Amino acid sequence: MDYNIDYKEFYNSFPSGYFCSSPNGTIIDSNKNFLELTNYSREEVIGKKKFTDFLSLGGKIYFENVFAPALKLSGNIEEVNFNFTKKEGTILPVLVNSVEIKDSSGTHLYTHSAIFNIAQRKKYEQELLRSKKNANELSNKLIAVNKKLRSRTELISKQKLQLKEFNQHLENKNRQLSSFAHIASHNLRAPVSNLMVLKDFYKENTDLKDKAMLFSKVDTVIEGLNETLDELIESIKIQGNKDIVFDAVNFDTFFAKTLVILDIQILDSKAVVTSNFCEAPNIEYPKLYMESILLNLLSNSIRYRAHDRIAKIHFHTEIINNEILLIATDNGLGINLRKYGHHLFGLNNTFHRHPDSKGVGLFMTKTQKEAAGGSVTVESEVDKGTTFKIILKKQK
Amino acid sequence: MLEKLIKQNNITIHGSGSKVMFFVHGYGCDQNMWRFITPHFKDTYKIVLIDLVGSGKSDENAYNYDKYNSLDGHADDLINICDALNLQDVCIVAHSVSAMIATLAAVKRPELFKKLIMIGPSPRYINDANYFGGFSQKDIDELLETLDSNYLGWSRAMAPVIMDNLDRPELADELEASFCQNNPEIATHFAKVTFLGDNRNDLKKLSTDTLILQSKADVIASIEVGQFVNNNISNSKLVVLETIGHCPHLSAPNQTIEAMKNYLL
Repeated sequence: MDYNIDYKEFYNSFPSGYFCSSPNGTIIDSNKNFLELTNYSREEVIGKKKFTDFLSLGGKIYFENVFAPALKLSGNIEEVNFNFTKKEGTILPVLVNSVEIKDSSGTHLYTHSAIFNIAQRKKYEQELLRSKKNANELSNKLIAVNKKLRSRTELISKQKLQLKEFNQHLENKNRQLSSFAHIASHNLRAPVSNLMVLKDFYKENTDLKDKAMLFSKVDTVIEGLNETLDELIESIKIQGNKDIVFDAVNFDTFFAKTLVILDIQILDSKAVVTSNFCEAPNIEYPKLYMESILLNLLSNSIRYRAHDRIAKIHFHTEIINNEILLIATDNGLGINLRKYGHHLFGLNNTFHRHPDSKGVGLFMTKTQKEAAGGSVTVESEVDKGTTFKIILKKQK
Repeated sequence: MLEKLIKQNNITIHGSGSKVMFFVHGYGCDQNMWRFITPHFKDTYKIVLIDLVGSGKSDENAYNYDKYNSLDGHADDLINICDALNLQDVCIVAHSVSAMIATLAAVKRPELFKKLIMIGPSPRYINDANYFGGFSQKDIDELLETLDSNYLGWSRAMAPVIMDNLDRPELADELEASFCQNNPEIATHFAKVTFLGDNRNDLKKLSTDTLILQSKADVIASIEVGQFVNNNISNSKLVVLETIGHCPHLSAPNQTIEAMKNYLL
């Protein structure tokens, strides 16, 4: 069966824009669809406008540098995305296919171009790009959270290590104490029973001379007892010192190390951490204890910061009565000392309703300090801040 | 060194002449753009064609973003190629941005180059108070957008997903087979270096005998820009060709050849 195709009608109703241009670029014919897509009348386009007249300057650069040379070199080009400017100034995103028509001698006669409206596709692409951007953002957030978790884990394992060390120290102390008790019970039993016997004799005897003799014996036993006690105390002192090694500690160096460990917490909290150790820059102190004390004090101050203001944390040293004081001041949540003061340094005591509270740090701080000689005091006001003063030791 | 450069710049050598003609393509294309010109010189010249690193079939891996962050990186390549091939008294033919690359090379090593033929040169694309380059910063931003969406007709941000698909290598092959298709990331970087650069001061330092070929209507490098280039080079001549567009060697090869021959006589 024959269909009678009206090619002119076919051309005009062809479902994409079509135009034909001369070698100098002037459009010499176009179908109706192209005019409808660009909103121009036939009179405004034919013989008057060029392909490049529909492009912005940026588009023209691409046309001249890439599109035109590629078309010249291969005779056709496909799927190039341009933004055509419509008569009213709005943008029509299109894909362009062009082909050069030549005569038998190879002379370029004209160029056919078809343009396809890709407005919907562009919108879809925008959606995809937006989704991709969102996915990227989400992934970045997850990475940040993950990083935070990892640094918390590191901190916890560091504290765990310190606890273990501390535990070992306690075990040692326990062993020493029980051996002390053992020695004491043995070495003290004999002179004490001697004393008991002498006391009985003394009570029963009425002769004054005998009484005086007995008392001088008591005196001797007491002297011996005293000596034994002194020895015992001396032995425990030496034992006690065995596992506490005093190192040369430079506050600046150790504090810098602490800042590195807590780097992420400080960054996250945006806390302003300052220090000034010039009054007492150095101390002889167990290295591990100093690390632990600084770490616990600083992480506490960060953790219990007040979220409605910038956390300001300051560490400094002072010398008072020949003693070196390490002082940590913050403007954080503060502690109600009347209510919680007696719990402050107990193991597993927490006095903040804070999800991070474990109550380990301060307990360790106090115990370690006492082990190395020293004490801690705290001043605090709820919602104003807290100051920990740590008296480290007598200065030599 | 030579072997490395051949791979790096896809150097091809044609012709049987004793004199040397060295062609350098401009932004967006490759050495294919000289195919209408070179046959007319191959009997009298040894013809050296290259692809700038990052364009055509050059070695993409050699595209060091620091080195090529200014046109000097490409100018050094031209000098190295001349040295490695032992080229002397070179007539260098350079299109568009490469006219500035050749200028930089000739300022650095004037003894290498005898003649410089610039086609559609522009030392500065962006207008300022006393200079008409033809474009504003906004126009260049728009170009970068166009570049972005002309990789398979999709925004480049989407394209890596497509191109990384190892199951479909034909996509990459298809791109390689077509002319003037360059790695989009490099193309964007090169576009920035090209269209945001300013080489106006280098023109004054150029002492090489220079011919400037210029279309009578070229949106990329207008007559005003051609005249500026001519006025700022001490030893130059400007010829305006009766054609339009930025690539007269493609749109009017015969006129271009004639102008070159007249100049080289």
